[in-house]
Amino acid sequence: MSPLSAIQSLPMKDLQGLSSLQNLPGAKDALGKLPGNIPLAELQTLGNSLASQATLPTSTLGGNSDVARVMASSGPNGDSFGDMLGNMVKDVNSKGAASSDMVTGLLSGQNVSLHQAMISMEEASVSFQLMVEVRNKLLDSYQELMRMQV
Amino acid sequence: MIQLIPGLQSTASALNAERIRMEVVSQNIANANTTRGIDGKPFQRRQVVFETVLSNQQQGDLPGSGVQLLHVARIDKDQRPPRLIYSPGHPDANPQTGMVEVPDINIHEEMADMITSSRAFEANLAVAKTSRNLAQQTLSIGKR
Repeated sequence: MSPLSAIQSLPMKDLQGLSSLQNLPGAKDALGKLPGNIPLAELQTLGNSLASQATLPTSTLGGNSDVARVMASSGPNGDSFGDMLGNMVKDVNSKGAASSDMVTGLLSGQNVSLHQAMISMEEASVSFQLMVEVRNKLLDSYQELMRMQV
Repeated sequence: MIQLIPGLQSTASALNAERIRMEVVSQNIANANTTRGIDGKPFQRRQVVFETVLSNQQQGDLPGSGVQLLHVARIDKDQRPPRLIYSPGHPDANPQTGMVEVPDINIHEEMADMITSSRAFEANLAVAKTSRNLAQQTLSIGKR
């Protein structure tokens, strides 16, 4: 199992839902502060291209490297790390959808207060940042592996 | 659901309660001279009563330490009798005595309430801001 297959295995519409986060005022400045300002829609293509390369080290290292074992190993509740990451992306996506619902409700005059909308936007933005940090760490460790002398 | 920003749940409940309190204060100020309410009597001053409720989401909490949320228990009518003002020409005046019943609302008291409410709102906003900043700074652990 490659490190990025969790991202790759996500349905495309999930990631498109995430990119709608950029339209929110709260998420926009949060995104602006991110290193390199990673576009969300590129996550999918990035996952695709890297996952195809990521099969390389596992095959050259004999297919049972520690990384591959950790990625495929089951946690206490039977989930692999990839499943966990996929769940996290889904969670972030649902938070984004919830905050988008809140803002729509606020602007269309439903019974949503301003602070509720702002708080849900902040939650969406922070959980999105967490997801991006996890992705950055994964990429870092992958690149570290690729630089390794065999 | 992951809870990334600590203390946000109780802060949100407090913000909601303070918003209701502000609405009640503005109602009191707006109706300070209302001599005829929906029931035909002069307007009566309202005041909010806050109470604590336990959050039902206690998954990640230690046992016995549920998040305590603030919540408006009820909006009570102030039982002060109306003030009487002599104004025989007023449509709501008593035909015998010429006295008009006016709500006993003291504008200074309402302003003090409003300031208390807005300061409490600000305090909760400060909590929200700080915990958001903490979460963001925690996310930058290990950055070069």
